[in-house]
Amino acid sequence: MTAIQFTALPMGDSRADIRVPMHHSVAVTGDTEGGPDGLVGMALGLDPIPPGAQVLVLGEDVSALKRRDLLAFRRRVGYVPAGDGLMQNLSLAENVALPLRFGSPLTSAAIASRLKVVLAVVRLGGAATLRPADADVDQRRRAAVARALVFDPALVVMAQPFDGLSARSAAELLETVRGGEVAEGGRRTVFIVGSDLPDRIRPRLEAVYRVAHGTLTPNA
Amino acid sequence: MTAPVTTLGQFITRQVTLGGALARFFVHTLGAWRTLPREGRRVARRVLLNQVWFTALQAIPLVVVLASILSFLVISQAVAELGRLNATEYLGTLMVVAIVQELGPLLTALIVVSRSGTAIAAELATNTVMGEVRALEGMGIDPVHYLVLPRFGAALVSVVGLMIVFDVVALAAGLVAATANDMAAVRYFEVVLRSLSTRDVGLTLAKGAVFGLIVGIVPSWHGLRVRRGPTEVPIAASRAVVVSIVGVFIAAALFVMFI
Repeated sequence: MTAIQFTALPMGDSRADIRVPMHHSVAVTGDTEGGPDGLVGMALGLDPIPPGAQVLVLGEDVSALKRRDLLAFRRRVGYVPAGDGLMQNLSLAENVALPLRFGSPLTSAAIASRLKVVLAVVRLGGAATLRPADADVDQRRRAAVARALVFDPALVVMAQPFDGLSARSAAELLETVRGGEVAEGGRRTVFIVGSDLPDRIRPRLEAVYRVAHGTLTPNA
Repeated sequence: MTAPVTTLGQFITRQVTLGGALARFFVHTLGAWRTLPREGRRVARRVLLNQVWFTALQAIPLVVVLASILSFLVISQAVAELGRLNATEYLGTLMVVAIVQELGPLLTALIVVSRSGTAIAAELATNTVMGEVRALEGMGIDPVHYLVLPRFGAALVSVVGLMIVFDVVALAAGLVAATANDMAAVRYFEVVLRSLSTRDVGLTLAKGAVFGLIVGIVPSWHGLRVRRGPTEVPIAASRAVVVSIVGVFIAAALFVMFI
């Protein structure tokens, strides 16, 4: 089964396909269309899909979804944006709780309980009460990952998730994202887009695509 | 020869398109409360109260000072001039029509626009530039739920609340001005209350509410329209203020023309 299927994406003068199978971790590095965040934006329906191309995510054609359905669909996918995208006026814990408060019918007690579990999974510890401006890059990234995992999604898409992290922190982060239990019992599917990857990350991925000078190279 | 007409046509088309987008945003915001989950409502209420604190409560001293000075000056002059013409009964009409009905809502809206409209537009524009709005969208959270609704509600409540404060203070300052110019307090209340009907009160509240809707929606819309980068933040704030002020004045004119 395929988690994400990009079909006929414009790459220079030609078109290319990218397939992310379920339970795999796949990365695309380099100068991707629309910048490093572009593919992630297309997968979530945040950015327009180029004419002639198609993007299927968890079996859904995201370009065909209406706004309300699109918001509901995105809650099925974990999203770690470039630069973390944390609200600066909220603590890290409040940031993590935000999707639960605004995207689920859960009660306050259920949210607190879920929050405790997710913060423990990413090992945010006492830093959870810090504002993003007072936290270091590792803590901010863990909070962004925790926020992406609150709904225990089967698929997580990440834009430049390892920027500013040490190789060891990056590897830990990837394992945290992959490791959760999902309905099928397997590992989460992870789709990573970034300008480059730390060396410790590459061996852990099933596929790495490289985009350079308008050419897509699989298993780079 | 046709270039000016083409330019004018493009300008009008662009303004109509922007107006349509703003109207859609307004309708979406009005309907957003229904789709907000229970816990989201609790958070939105908390943000709304914070916004009311900043937008309304912190603005009370400014409103009190402006209403007092304006009313004192106008009524002092009016009592002296109308007294000479033996026409002090028109003082009530002047007070109700000019200050309570027109200047109260208008100045209150301008105060809220200048204090909070800029702040709302700049804050939301910064949220957008920092990628926070995109992150909310990407997580399946409607930014209108978390960012716009509380600010919109707070602006509405604040304009109406501050307008009531303005009018009450203006009436009190008018009393001080009238008595300082040898007019009996009983006579002042008599002429003012004779001119003040239930319809006037309703109309003034309706005007405050409409101004509040404009002040609540325009800065949020401009803040979320930012696309390119930090240099657009002050532009968004400036546009939000200008468009809000123009909107408030147009609404005031429509009230006079049609109601």
